[in-house]
Amino acid sequence: MAEKVKLFVNGQEVEVESGKNLIDAIGAIGIEIPHLCYHPALGADGNCRLCLVGIEDGRPPLVPACKTRVAEGMKVQLDTGKIKKIQQDIMEFELINHPIDCPVCDQAGECKLQDYYMRYDAQPSRMTVKQVLKSKKLDFGCGVVHDQERCVLCARCVRFTRLITKTGELGIVNRTDYARVEIFPGRPLNNRYALNVVDLCPVGAMTSQDFRFKQRVWFLTKSPSICHGCSKGCNIFIDHNREKYKDDIIYRFRPRHNEKVNGYFMCDDGRMTYKLENDNRLLGAMIDKRETGFNEAVEAVRRELSQAAKTVILVSPNASLEQMYALQQFAGTINAQVSGFSDGYIKNGDGDDFLIQDDKSANRATFHLLGIDDTRAGFDTAVAGADLLLSFDNDLSLSLPQTDLDQLLGQVKLITVGSRQNDFVTKASIKLPVASFSEDSGSIINCDGRLQRYDAAVIKNEPMPSMIAAINMLGGGIVSHQEAREGLQANVPKLKDIDLDQVPGDGIALTENEVAHVAA
Amino acid sequence: MSDRSQLIETGQPFNFDAQRDAEFERLIKRYPSRESMILPALWLVQEQEGWISAEAMAYVADRIGTFASKVYEVATFYTMYHLQPKGKYHICVCRTLSCYLLGKQEIVDYIIEHLDVRPGEVRADGLYSFEEVECLGHCGSAPVVQINGEFYENMTVEKLEELLATLQ
Repeated sequence: MAEKVKLFVNGQEVEVESGKNLIDAIGAIGIEIPHLCYHPALGADGNCRLCLVGIEDGRPPLVPACKTRVAEGMKVQLDTGKIKKIQQDIMEFELINHPIDCPVCDQAGECKLQDYYMRYDAQPSRMTVKQVLKSKKLDFGCGVVHDQERCVLCARCVRFTRLITKTGELGIVNRTDYARVEIFPGRPLNNRYALNVVDLCPVGAMTSQDFRFKQRVWFLTKSPSICHGCSKGCNIFIDHNREKYKDDIIYRFRPRHNEKVNGYFMCDDGRMTYKLENDNRLLGAMIDKRETGFNEAVEAVRRELSQAAKTVILVSPNASLEQMYALQQFAGTINAQVSGFSDGYIKNGDGDDFLIQDDKSANRATFHLLGIDDTRAGFDTAVAGADLLLSFDNDLSLSLPQTDLDQLLGQVKLITVGSRQNDFVTKASIKLPVASFSEDSGSIINCDGRLQRYDAAVIKNEPMPSMIAAINMLGGGIVSHQEAREGLQANVPKLKDIDLDQVPGDGIALTENEVAHVAA
Repeated sequence: MSDRSQLIETGQPFNFDAQRDAEFERLIKRYPSRESMILPALWLVQEQEGWISAEAMAYVADRIGTFASKVYEVATFYTMYHLQPKGKYHICVCRTLSCYLLGKQEIVDYIIEHLDVRPGEVRADGLYSFEEVECLGHCGSAPVVQINGEFYENMTVEKLEELLATLQ
């Protein structure tokens, strides 16, 4: 546990974590100090002056809370008339040239300027001079649209490009009331994390081309989950909404803070994988390109399974720990071989030293934990002499050259169980639709061996059965996630001390120390 | 102050001439942080060309090893850097507090009306360019006007009129 210090906030004694600045330390126990420019990942800049507080110990009368570390016995004043006046004055200053276009602004509902105005200011404008007009709807590249009039010059976006991505595309040009965030002419945003400036912007100055005007944010349900875009497993919020008479649709993924995985950020590619959850989904069961009922298709698969001489089960590296375990058990009962061959999910050299990984699948680490072979050689051995290939959401066309694939499909009958429609799935003689990760719960292990859990976020009007339910209908012994989790705990030595239902929000590293710590 | 963010691209690559190149190499050794060289490097560009183009800023950034956006920030912040070719007479009027309180606006209005040139612009015939600038450091003798580097203190519209007559 981190060391604690006692201090007094508005005369009241509180205990906070030492070593942090006032905003973070006091914020952690629920006392807010308003701030626009400070962000924990970008450090203190001290340009907005909104976090000025009083400290009764002989230092200057006012100090910026973002640059002041907590200390034992510190007496912090947040509610004096003087502090309130400063907050009000800063808000008035910020709003001199800020257009009050909240009804059409994309940020309304999650705008700090709007929130702070209601909480700390709420005064009518005294401005009689004309506002300084600046440029609107500037294309900054990478899907970022900038509105200079709304910008409060907190420089978070500028610092992000200089400190985090180290690409430095943005700068604040001009001075006084003409100051504005700009790109250098002809050098737009060009990095794979650019859309994080949209999350970082405390007002509506940075907006995402993709999300703009699609939804008001207060209509969105914000469900915590894990990105499946690569093996990093960045923590995300799935923002989705079911409009009247429509289905539940995902509008965006946003990064969710987890210091042990992704910090405050996520990559743009991962962010856009929300589209895979909405589009091109497999919505009905099919037998030989004929739409059919789910149960009828299940019966057809069972018939195929009973007639097959040798069955191979192909597992997706995106399947959850529970799904992989259920499949392994199922394969045991029908005497089938299991392969996790999915080389095509790996894009060598695509990763970087920040978040993006070469492996574009979410849970390959579980293959190794459960002993599922994912090599080409293992796959070739498994399919040798096989006459039935049962693919669980594994797009084999990514991994196998076309000629090899054609040759294989001439030899085996293909059945797919999955959530998505793609070229490989169209080649299947029977297709069974199942829920995608956003509609299901599960556990995954990321590239660093960190076990994380996610819960179902989206509930469709016509929900698809979960993969575990589908496996159960096909003859698998495991009926639920719960049962799979119990089985995993009982049979996988590395998981014996872990209650998969109680995985903490920031996950567990599958190392002896951390497992013992969580189990205790 | 006018919006200085609109840079001019010449379409030609920029390079220091031999003299400025040598001066750049001499100066850069003085600074523990290479970024501190942005200001003197921009001076060298201005000395060479008379003004600073977008290409010159990119050149300075590459030469120093910093982001072009940082050079852009500095060049647009300080009004002594010219981001377009100047007129024959470059008139700067200080707009900051003392000058403001002692009537700089009358002088600005006079220039706009009688010389037909607005802040941040160059007159079509190239005779005058005009800029409202930040503090020129002559508060004791405000308002102050600077023409081609020369200071003219305690300025009034009448005095400016006389001064301009001598410039023609």
